[in-house]
Amino acid sequence: MKLNLYKENDIQNEHVDVYYSNMRPLIRQLVDTVNSDRPSLSGRPADEDLDDGEEILLDPKDIYYLDHIDRKLFAYTKNGVYRLMNTLSACEEMLWNYGFVRVSKSNLINIYRIKQLKPDLNMKVFASFDNGERICINRSYKKSFNEYLLKMRGIN
Amino acid sequence: MREKIGSFLIELCCVYTIISVAGAIVNIICKTETNNLNVIVMFITCLAATFVLFLHKLFDNVSPLVMIIAQFLIACAVVGLILLIISVTISPISPKGWFEFYRSFVIPYIVFAAFYYYRIFSETKKQDELIRQIQEKAGEKAE
Repeated sequence: MKLNLYKENDIQNEHVDVYYSNMRPLIRQLVDTVNSDRPSLSGRPADEDLDDGEEILLDPKDIYYLDHIDRKLFAYTKNGVYRLMNTLSACEEMLWNYGFVRVSKSNLINIYRIKQLKPDLNMKVFASFDNGERICINRSYKKSFNEYLLKMRGIN
Repeated sequence: MREKIGSFLIELCCVYTIISVAGAIVNIICKTETNNLNVIVMFITCLAATFVLFLHKLFDNVSPLVMIIAQFLIACAVVGLILLIISVTISPISPKGWFEFYRSFVIPYIVFAAFYYYRIFSETKKQDELIRQIQEKAGEKAE
């Protein structure tokens, strides 16, 4: 898809024109992104069989958590796992206001998607999600996690 | 590094104050007395135990239960070594003395570990409730 960007310093009304032949998911996502006030992340399916080379825009509210494994960043959603080209710290900075909080060196979780927070008998605290996955909340991040929750309750 | 040493010294002061005041209360209730050597041993024990507990960052990748047990075993070994040095160099310690010392070391450790265990569960419950509140408010906003 050809993309034209025009910068005009004295423009009064910023706008986006989209020319399309059919409303493909990518176009739909572009429209949703322009209409929405939240940032979006682009990624490709982690499963190579499902990867048709086209990037998919992910709405942060659909993401359960981000996982950094072997220098690669993955986003886990209800519909599957996507590989993102951002860094975890860039995502943390971008998404801190949208419910994403760092709970370990390699995980950023979406608090709006947490089904339950529960400690194990060995005292490790886990956040469970609808997809059945569990992410451990590291002790080092416990304090900042609690502060984040208090702050988000204040904002909401 | 200076910050860490400062933080360690503050923790050591707090631990020693709590232990010595608790010891004084027990002495008053039981009408017993302590001596200078016991006070020094108590301080050295606090120093060793606080240092071992201060190393909790090294156990970040293991579960808190494993951390508590590992720290307990290390603290026991360090304290045992200190007692052995005292026994050889200053004054011999009888088997009953060893038993009494370890008993007075193990009981507070288990009490505080149980308290820590309880705190994890209660804090997690509070955090879970906070998450529910945040999600409910966000849901109301979306509607």
